[in-house]
Amino acid sequence: MRLTYRGRCWKFGDNVGVDGDMMPLDFALQRETRLEVLAPHAMTGLDPDFPKKVKAGDIVVAGKRFAQGNPHIQGLLGLVAHRVGLVCESIPRGSLRNAVNAGLPLLPSCPGISSIVQTGDQLEVDFESGDLRNVTQDWIRVFEPLPRALLDIIVRGGWEAAVEARVAMMKSRRGYTS
Amino acid sequence: MPQTIAEKILSRVTGRPVRPGEIIYPEPDLVTTHDWYVVNFDAALRKLGVERLYAPEKVLISTDHEPVALSRQAAERQRAVREIVSRYGIAHFYDVGRGGHGHIFPMERGLIAPGMLVLAYDPHVTNYGAVGCLGIALVIEISEVLACGSAWIRVPQTVRIDLHGELQRGVTVRDAAQRMIAELDPDLVDYTVVEFGGPALAHIDIDRRMTFCNTPVEIGAKSVVFETDERTESWLRPRLGERFRHIRSDEGAHYKAAIDYSLALAEPQVAAPPTPDNVLGVSAVAGTKIDYAFIGSCANSSLADLRDAAEVLRGHRVQEGVRLIVTPGTQQIAAEAAAEGLIGVFIDAGATLTAPGCGPCAGGRIGPLAPGEVSINTGTRNDPGRLGARDADIYLASPFTVAASAITGRITDPREILQ
Repeated sequence: MRLTYRGRCWKFGDNVGVDGDMMPLDFALQRETRLEVLAPHAMTGLDPDFPKKVKAGDIVVAGKRFAQGNPHIQGLLGLVAHRVGLVCESIPRGSLRNAVNAGLPLLPSCPGISSIVQTGDQLEVDFESGDLRNVTQDWIRVFEPLPRALLDIIVRGGWEAAVEARVAMMKSRRGYTS
Repeated sequence: MPQTIAEKILSRVTGRPVRPGEIIYPEPDLVTTHDWYVVNFDAALRKLGVERLYAPEKVLISTDHEPVALSRQAAERQRAVREIVSRYGIAHFYDVGRGGHGHIFPMERGLIAPGMLVLAYDPHVTNYGAVGCLGIALVIEISEVLACGSAWIRVPQTVRIDLHGELQRGVTVRDAAQRMIAELDPDLVDYTVVEFGGPALAHIDIDRRMTFCNTPVEIGAKSVVFETDERTESWLRPRLGERFRHIRSDEGAHYKAAIDYSLALAEPQVAAPPTPDNVLGVSAVAGTKIDYAFIGSCANSSLADLRDAAEVLRGHRVQEGVRLIVTPGTQQIAAEAAAEGLIGVFIDAGATLTAPGCGPCAGGRIGPLAPGEVSINTGTRNDPGRLGARDADIYLASPFTVAASAITGRITDPREILQ
């Protein structure tokens, strides 16, 4: 499976907060993880119409410290719910972990990216190679992709699915009886 | 290639040299969780269809967040925890009245040695760095570690901090530690191991090193570790015997940054609401009226901390209208404090004692704050709601400053009371 997304660019600035900007805090406090519940609230702290406008395959592009704040997974699940990808200049470690665990394809370290793309640009991002093509502006940049071990978790669909597969493998190897 | 302490430990458990940035699946020497999370990991394991743990002999559970059950629901959960421990055959279970705070007593009992890797559910597992052990917190992935033996981590870079200078009278390691996180750049510390060394180590005992290991987590450090020295050795030898080994970084190891930090602060430091790194000199907040004081938590509940508190409180009474709660970290600390007469000092002063463990700091389930109240305490964090009511102000300070403030009913520079 190739992790390539093609779609529209939605650009946000620096210091986008995981609570409030990306998802109302209440969902984190309730530990809500159902994608269909979170989808209508994705990014609404910054753009109330985002859930209606965004389409599967679109790319959120952001500046530094994307998803900063208490490492709650709900804001990242909100992006997964719309099957969008993420390209950002930097992301704090707790949110990087949550992004991988949520199964969100991302390029976590793309210095300067938010000054060279615009909302509305057509982008094509290969999350496995790190190739980012701006179709509208007709250029290609290559960024550092995630390590293979983390891409494997994302390809599986996130932490839960990856652990299920790991447990199944262990059981078959050990002749586990249950 | 020369390595830092963290790189050495992660290389050992991985079975080959590892470098910062790599993703590895390390198998820890010990896994720790606490009373409140046991039911959750059991549910996660059941959902995965897992009926036995990868290494139950390496799992430690401590009943410390709510040692004496405060409700019928909590009593039922404690019963569930005992059943879960027995069902999985978990080797190290310290129920109420047995151990105390899980970030402290395993060191007292020789369960933690320099060079070990511990993976845990709770962020302040970094306390084990006081004796050269690398404690790293995961969150939900701890159930993966329990089921499969490991979970992914990215090998962190190391920031080296050399401690210099001497603490002045009335200023403690807690003051220096919170001043330090206010000055360090969170972007520098994010996802790094903070490694302490330097000439001042000779004056910082193991109890105080725990405080230093506790605080950098609040600005994003992955872990914190002290290099071992003669003090570590003399503290651990009786506990570990021949198992004791020194651990230090190699000459020429690569650090993300190397910083010199002086302990010679001019005055005690207080973290004002709403974050632990919002740190001011005590003179900036002195006089603020308080309702509630607390001495304890994994940051400041050692015998050294209780001695500091007693030194201020001896011969004084807690101000009318103020409540002072003291929570010794562990059963052993409580026993030693009693033998030294410290408990008597607290009782004579009008303080109240709670069972060894986290005390109120674990979310304020024990001894919460009412709306509008003001607390000064030695807990780890001061986010709104940390001690119950969200619209209550929490100041963090040393045992000296908290005890002095409890006596006067206002935030007070302890040097006014210490002779």
